Amino acid sequence: MDEQGVPRRIGVYVCHCGGNISDVVDVETVTDRAGADEDVVIARHLPFMCSDEGQTTIEKDIAELGLDRVVVAACTPSLHETTFRRTVSRAGLNAYLYQHANIREQVSWAHVHDHAAATEKAARVVQAAIAKAASLHELDMVRVAAVHRALVVGGGVAGLRAALDLARFGMEVVLVERSKVLGGHTLRLGRTYPTEEPGRALVERLAAAVRAEPLVDVRLSTEVTGVSGYVGDFQVTLHSVAPSGNGSAGSDEVEVGAIVLATGFRDYEPAAGEYGFGGPGVVTLAAFQERLYAEEPDGDLAAALGMQGPVRAVAFLHCVGSRQAEGIDGGDGELNTYCSRVCCTASVRAAAETRRRFPDVRVVDVFRDIRTYARDQEDAYRAAGQAGVLFVRLPNDERARVETAAAEDPYPLLVRARDSLTFGAELELPVDVVVLATGMEPGGADALVAATKAPTGADGFLLEVHPKLRPVESATPGILLAGTARGPMDITESTTSASAAAAKVATLLARDQVEMEPFVAKVDPSRCSGNGACVSACPYAGAIGLQELELEDGVVEQRAYVNPVACKGCGACVAVCPNGAIDVQGWEIPQYVAMVDAITADDATPVPVGAGTEAGSS
Amino acid sequence: MSERTAAGEIDTDVLVVGAGIAGLQAALDLADQGNRVLLVEREASIGGRMIALSKVFPTMDCSSCITTPKMSSAAHHELVTTFTYTDVGSVEPAGRGFEATIVRRPRYVDEEACIGCRLCEYACPVDVPHEFDGGLGARRAVYIPFGTAIPQKAVVDLPNCILCGKCEKACPTDAIDFLQEPETITVRARAVVLTTGYRPTPTGAKKEYGAGRISNVIGGLDMERLLSPNGPYGRVLRPSDGKVPENIAYVQCAGSRDETLGVPYCSRVCCMYAVKQAMLLSGSLPVADITIYYMDIRAFGKGYEEFFQTARSMGINFVKAKVARIHERPDGDLDLRVELEEDDGRVEDVTHDLVVLSVGLQPGDDVRRFAPVSTDAYGFVRSADPALDATATDVPGLFAAGTALAPKDIVDTVAEASAVAMRVAAYLRETATPAGELVGVAHG
Amino acid sequence: MAPPTRILVLASLLCAYPGIDATGQAHLDYPANTYVLPTPDPVMFPEWFYLYGYEHGIDGILIASCGTDSPYEGSYEQLAARINRVYAQMKERGLDIRRLKLTAICSVCTKAFVKEVGDLAKVVEELGPAADELARQPAVVGGEAS
Repeated sequence: MDEQGVPRRIGVYVCHCGGNISDVVDVETVTDRAGADEDVVIARHLPFMCSDEGQTTIEKDIAELGLDRVVVAACTPSLHETTFRRTVSRAGLNAYLYQHANIREQVSWAHVHDHAAATEKAARVVQAAIAKAASLHELDMVRVAAVHRALVVGGGVAGLRAALDLARFGMEVVLVERSKVLGGHTLRLGRTYPTEEPGRALVERLAAAVRAEPLVDVRLSTEVTGVSGYVGDFQVTLHSVAPSGNGSAGSDEVEVGAIVLATGFRDYEPAAGEYGFGGPGVVTLAAFQERLYAEEPDGDLAAALGMQGPVRAVAFLHCVGSRQAEGIDGGDGELNTYCSRVCCTASVRAAAETRRRFPDVRVVDVFRDIRTYARDQEDAYRAAGQAGVLFVRLPNDERARVETAAAEDPYPLLVRARDSLTFGAELELPVDVVVLATGMEPGGADALVAATKAPTGADGFLLEVHPKLRPVESATPGILLAGTARGPMDITESTTSASAAAAKVATLLARDQVEMEPFVAKVDPSRCSGNGACVSACPYAGAIGLQELELEDGVVEQRAYVNPVACKGCGACVAVCPNGAIDVQGWEIPQYVAMVDAITADDATPVPVGAGTEAGSS
Repeated sequence: MSERTAAGEIDTDVLVVGAGIAGLQAALDLADQGNRVLLVEREASIGGRMIALSKVFPTMDCSSCITTPKMSSAAHHELVTTFTYTDVGSVEPAGRGFEATIVRRPRYVDEEACIGCRLCEYACPVDVPHEFDGGLGARRAVYIPFGTAIPQKAVVDLPNCILCGKCEKACPTDAIDFLQEPETITVRARAVVLTTGYRPTPTGAKKEYGAGRISNVIGGLDMERLLSPNGPYGRVLRPSDGKVPENIAYVQCAGSRDETLGVPYCSRVCCMYAVKQAMLLSGSLPVADITIYYMDIRAFGKGYEEFFQTARSMGINFVKAKVARIHERPDGDLDLRVELEEDDGRVEDVTHDLVVLSVGLQPGDDVRRFAPVSTDAYGFVRSADPALDATATDVPGLFAAGTALAPKDIVDTVAEASAVAMRVAAYLRETATPAGELVGVAHG
Repeated sequence: MAPPTRILVLASLLCAYPGIDATGQAHLDYPANTYVLPTPDPVMFPEWFYLYGYEHGIDGILIASCGTDSPYEGSYEQLAARINRVYAQMKERGLDIRRLKLTAICSVCTKAFVKEVGDLAKVVEELGPAADELARQPAVVGGEAS
């Protein structure tokens, strides 16, 4: 019945599934019992409901009998629920006025040996589906108007790639870069893996393509200072810190449908004294590479590094600021437990390059595990060995130590390390230069990250919705993650993740409206008391909140409201509402109550729906 | 939907070759942007390798639980047409796009009529080792590929069929059709994406490890099936005698970083799947000893190093060593000669009762057989611009993603699949004629 | 004849529901008095819903969640805390708390499902209808269901 007590006009269709159901379940009994329900206008059983004949029968009945809801009892909904939603939709009924009953996987196949019990269960499962159908509401897809413009934050390789992809897709892009130039860290990379193209040339190639796109509005020396709104329509405040080619100092507001965070990483800065850092001859890999690749092949390494004495021996130390462990690594107390992914390949390449350019320089590479994982990187590792780089493997949980040598020693620095490759030999390696393969740290766009409410993980990098299958989406709809903002990656991986983030933007904004399934929470303001329990229970930022609502008598009170775009439909809010004022559409608690009543209904004396909860009433 | 323009002809926007996780994700993203996709798959079900995995690192999500929704979304998507059991004969540039010849192999089952009820399967008297379970379990000669297969349609394995006709009699919809012929279809597509995936390096590749003839030396993917709740035995047992293993060894880089096998590259996933399996095993076999013999543990992805350290703290034994050879003992146990690369570097002879070879990844298909792309020495598709545009090949309009390009894990594959969708969508727009339909292009 | 008993399974759509389908596909038997209701996440059910079930002819409830595999943040922890409160309320009403079981069932965990539902069925068989336990307890005034 509907809310006014008028019977529904439900059609019920029981499928034989060619004997798969009907050999176990007495479909006639099930159909008869369904037909006896006051809300059911027609109940039929057919050999194959999914067949053309089955679907046509439903369409015809909707037209001729004026059905307002349809139940099909057949296989699992995962196989054919969509099929029948489309069927009723073709006949002009709202697709969500369809209810599926699973009497194959969960009845006839599960209870093969007890036909009577299977029939009884099937009948009750169908009754439950009828009860739910009777209380179904028409639903519409959640739609949000989409602004066809995207904001990309960060002008490194990831941001450039995302902006270029979106522009080529036909979308307006505002590309914001904090510094005065496009290119990010890549500008400083000498030669890049895997093509050996200089970093500057590579990023210039990309930046030139972006600049050639009229749809991209590049804002240099600009920061994002505020973000409000939701997917489809964000309002973003930009602040130019210095005059740039595209604008003057000051604030500006732009409206965008989605935001790509390509805010990059920071180089790990070793603490003073960490592996001798701060002392003469101890440099980071980034600094070393920049000088190494800038120097002419016949140049002088010492001069390139700006050092006084000769450079006769160089030691590379891996995992500086990465793979840190409690009780072993000191630092500032915050340990980077993660692997920075790119430093192994960068180190072995730089080590090999040093040997090739300066064959007289001895090179030793001290590592824990060599992680040259990507295509051709293993070749680079092998090439380093062939170029004469000496590899020293530290036992697990041990570290190298860098000491200043005694004044009379021929070399200024001494690296001590135990080498498991030579069976635990304690090595003393006199060198002139120590290169620290420092890792990546989260990029320092803290204020922006807070404004977008994009959460970060334990490692400080931006957190994806699902680390396996949704790596470029943040938990906030419309906020995407590109490049090293999400964690260490190399250039290829950064540009790939940027294109992936762009793909998600394109999907969201390709149409005039963002469309989503309607299975989200909905508040009945007439029952809401505004106590906010739902807001506390909700794990999703911006999905549910309280707002002032003017009631009929002019009184203004707090009432909960759901932002259907941010709601994931889990129902955490439903359970905590003391007034039953919230439900997840399509999965409403009163519908479950109706199903329980139908399942437990005594054939002789049906329990009236909505019976009280006095103890012992059943 | 991709349109059938005439008998044996289909017009579509994008042809995606291979319906593993890469193909599924690429197809879904392209379709969600409004493009028509024809997704073709060689096997009888979509889902690729991922659907056969137990759990995934580092989240330990049940693999089938996160793969089936993707499979189902693709199968039900209005703009995605899926053909399983279909081979690609050729892909040639033609006009403003490509012309491809695809061949739908006969299932000997009418897909329209089959309702997936398995009555044929129950009637069939022939047992065949099941490929899905690495040959450790059995299937019938007519069968639904596996429980979560999409489509849930039977297929007749004709070479193993004895033509007894029992399935025909059992089928309630008369779907069995031994007269089915291969169907050749010409596909016109504006762009093509190769997501042909990988196959594991063979466990029999190394003589030193028994050349595939020792039944208690299994591959990493076989262990995935043993660890799956719907695996061949429903629990972890060793194949030779069904004994519960108590002392399991993992041999890393068994088929990777090995020039003698022609696979000098790192396969990128084997360290992590071994660590994951070891953790799962220590959960399901709490008394078992698990040792991983390795060169380097390459736990480089997000959360992977932490995962590896957790495994160490759980008591899984990581030993830096090379396994020189494996011998089978009469009782099925295995003698391993292990050359330590730590401590004093001694050579040890140790005994384990089950050995898992952490096999690597090789290209899933020889794409040059049908597509005009260049590949590297190992058969992986070459990127035209690896740093900035990894999914583009040297043929405009022809793209690749996932392990067709190089070994990679699921998360990197998924990102690359979305990336290729973006690149293809932009390509489609850029190459559309003014009169042509601008599919998926934003307004304003 | 003993009155029939009924078991309700609240099955998470992503994990347990397909897992129960797979159980049927494998023709693994489990008690036929089991009724499966899919839900996006069992975290949505308020405490009173469980009691409503016991008061209206449900004798055992199996919550087949995704466990910590839940796609929804923190939902399993919220659910577990709620079930503890339901246990307290069940005790007040004189209901044996073994009638309610919180489990995690994955999409291919057929044997786990058969075991869990079988164990619950045994408990229910041993205890008899929930109504009998409720009848032994003095009525509590006021319910939240409407």
